[in-house]
Amino acid sequence: MHFKVRAAAKEDCKEISRMIMELAVYENMPDQVKTSHEDLERDGFSPNPFYECLVAEVPDEHKTKDGHCLAGRSTCGHVSVSGQRQPASSSLCVGGQDTLGSSTRQVKRLKCCPNDGYTVVGYALYFYTYSTWKGRSVYMEDLYVMPDFRGKGIGTGLMAKVAQVGVEKQCVRLQFSVLEWNKPSLDFYIAKGAEDLTAKEGWHFLRFHGQSLDTLAKEAPKD
Amino acid sequence: MTDFKIRKAEPKDVPDILRLIKELAKYEGMENQVKLTEEDLLEDGFGDNPLYHCVMAEVPSEPQSNNGPVVIGFAMYYFTYDPWIGKLLYLEDFFVMEEYREIGIGSEILKLLSDMAFETRCNSMHFVVAKDNQESIEFYKRRGAADITLDEGWRLFKINRSSLFKMSSGSKE
Repeated sequence: MHFKVRAAAKEDCKEISRMIMELAVYENMPDQVKTSHEDLERDGFSPNPFYECLVAEVPDEHKTKDGHCLAGRSTCGHVSVSGQRQPASSSLCVGGQDTLGSSTRQVKRLKCCPNDGYTVVGYALYFYTYSTWKGRSVYMEDLYVMPDFRGKGIGTGLMAKVAQVGVEKQCVRLQFSVLEWNKPSLDFYIAKGAEDLTAKEGWHFLRFHGQSLDTLAKEAPKD
Repeated sequence: MTDFKIRKAEPKDVPDILRLIKELAKYEGMENQVKLTEEDLLEDGFGDNPLYHCVMAEVPSEPQSNNGPVVIGFAMYYFTYDPWIGKLLYLEDFFVMEEYREIGIGSEILKLLSDMAFETRCNSMHFVVAKDNQESIEFYKRRGAADITLDEGWRLFKINRSSLFKMSSGSKE
């Protein structure tokens, strides 16, 4: 399948937000997602962005003859067409307007149909970090490809682009984290030359989060 | 009781920052891995787009000397991003010289950083610690930190520059 990787635009944030949730579901932690697409827009597309993002998209030949987006599986098989709930069909573009003859209908996916009709099918979100030993590094926070589009080189393409950015910005390394049970991802990264620093050097991630950060801050010295 | 002060780093602190980076690397048994120079630190931390921020801990010099305060600890941090919760403060290095430990300097630095995290709209402060460094792990856990490698199974990975180069040269536009 032919695909393209490009820098994300502000308009992609809704799709990125959807895929962030899909990745969280895959990692069995959907209740931990608190950000909205508005947060992503503010944090990634202001004068001092806190992250950069690449998206992978499937080009036009994968759309239907009517020019609508490729429809994937939906969990309930329904969409909302101008306020009326009805079964999804492969000819319906999910999201935005659908023009049929002289009428224009508002079509949108329902909450129970997360996978219908998207052309952005994957993303990689990363930012720059700093190693006191070696200098600038790149940290890949998320790498995700929708299930229907895996096994086609899209994940490799996204990661290669992150690597290219890292090389261009003279980063000394790329770091990321993987859940210990996530064997498909572990195999994917190890095949690309990744080293498990938790196994090799004993590094553990720690955090002060939410209440524990609040408690620590309340005891801060006052100026 | 030793008097101490914690303040934001300035360009003049770069030699002390590098000295303390090397002392921390030595404590971690990896002193040969420090490749950064004072020039790198100056450019990277005090240019137009700093890649890191630092706070310094200092104590007064001996009364009989005419010298200014002496730097005896530091913390280096920057801002990262978690797509689930937003902006984070990432603590990269945190070190107090051995002879100045256990008098509350580390605790004060940590509290200052957490206060700063809230002021800058960060919901979490993250860092890594080597599992052999039990003293540091206990220090953080006593103050409420969670070990998410143990609790949730996160493992840290790296890909070095030569593998990055190989991967990127396979990247097509």
